[in-house]
Amino acid sequence: MINRYDFAERAIHWISALSFVYAAFTGLALWSHKLYWLALVFGGGNATRFAHPWAGLMFALALGFMFRRWAGQMRLDREDRVWLLHSYKYAMHQEVGLPESGRFNGGQKMLFWLQALASVALLATGVVLWFPEWMPRALRLVAIALHPFAAVLAIALIILHIYMGTAAVPGAFKAMIQGKVTRGWARAHHPKWLSVDSR
Amino acid sequence: MTQTVVKLIDTTLCIGCKACEVACQEWNDQEFTVGTFNGTYQTMPDLAPNFWNLIKFNEREVDGGMSWLMSKYQCMHCADPGCLRACPAPGAIVQAKNGIVDFVSENCIGCGYCITGCPFDVPRLSPETKKVYKCTLCSDRVAVGLEPACIKSCPTNCLTFGERTQMLRVAESRADVLKADGHAQAGVYNPVGVGGTNVLYVLKDASDPVAYGLPKDPTIPLSVILWKGPIKWLGTLLLVGGVLGSFFHYLKFGPKHEPADEATDDKSL
Repeated sequence: MINRYDFAERAIHWISALSFVYAAFTGLALWSHKLYWLALVFGGGNATRFAHPWAGLMFALALGFMFRRWAGQMRLDREDRVWLLHSYKYAMHQEVGLPESGRFNGGQKMLFWLQALASVALLATGVVLWFPEWMPRALRLVAIALHPFAAVLAIALIILHIYMGTAAVPGAFKAMIQGKVTRGWARAHHPKWLSVDSR
Repeated sequence: MTQTVVKLIDTTLCIGCKACEVACQEWNDQEFTVGTFNGTYQTMPDLAPNFWNLIKFNEREVDGGMSWLMSKYQCMHCADPGCLRACPAPGAIVQAKNGIVDFVSENCIGCGYCITGCPFDVPRLSPETKKVYKCTLCSDRVAVGLEPACIKSCPTNCLTFGERTQMLRVAESRADVLKADGHAQAGVYNPVGVGGTNVLYVLKDASDPVAYGLPKDPTIPLSVILWKGPIKWLGTLLLVGGVLGSFFHYLKFGPKHEPADEATDDKSL
């Protein structure tokens, strides 16, 4: 077994994951009347109004830490672009001809940057919606449409991320819990990382 | 059939006595908070969570002298209410069949979306209760066949109350009288952008409602329409598509095993 994620990485991943899930479900409750029952599951409408912004803030902070930790490793190089262009092959398990991935593959890197972008939008618009009484009307009008727009993109990305991290790639979930992967797993999914970082 | 009710404000008959403000505070049992004095005759510069009805003394220069354009600032009870469209909490804002748009405090979560959705800037968020308040058109009085408190208190018949088509007719004929009196621009304020309002104004100069503190062409904000329309439909499609797409991808292609796994699998066959 080799170390893939150290404790700090796993901790910050799960802090962001839990705060995101809470913010996403309570956000969906406010997104549509048909999903308002979610607010009741999570403590009621007033609790949602109170806690959703705090969960969002926690997620933004966690993402800030992740950014500091991973931004350098998430830079897309030429091979990542080739990988992304042929990612449909990856989805169909036809890895032949795909460039080998480092610690993170092109898809993971895209997820990182898109999620970072969405989070900046969510934080900025979220603060506006948090304190409507102090915000100019023009800002509130932008935020009321941009916040759900960015949120729905972020949630769609996370749906894909959760699928990839659990069912689609066996071993990935364990890596994020226990921090370790087998040598075979690393060779199959992140060969360039294994060769650079083989212990 | 339930009749749509209308409050008609003939601004030309308002004498600025503020009886309606007092009646509103009394009936709705609101504690009066001392506000700011800004050098005008107005009770307060603005509406407040516990002050739902403000007589505005809009000052205007006419022929070198000062003139007041009286107007009454409160919820307009729109036929297509922006507050209701924006509200995420079911049952926090209700539109009764008689046209009254009412806030139900126990369902309000205090998000303030209604403030953003309202083209007239009427709802006010209370920092104490964290809920939003505005004029109810005395829905509790109307429900038992009484007229709203402000109308009951008005000494000049500037405020009248009744069934919509009838009140529209009254308003138009009053505007005609004003026109005949030489006020060519007289007219009725009943903005179509919000489907018409159940609070109507007769204005001496209907071409310039802004002078009365009323928006010229109020509409439901575009961003609220976008959010509740295309963004919601496309977003739902994306989320449901994401879940279903992942599920069927798994059915079709299965998990991505590392080659070592497959080798072991082959041996076990």
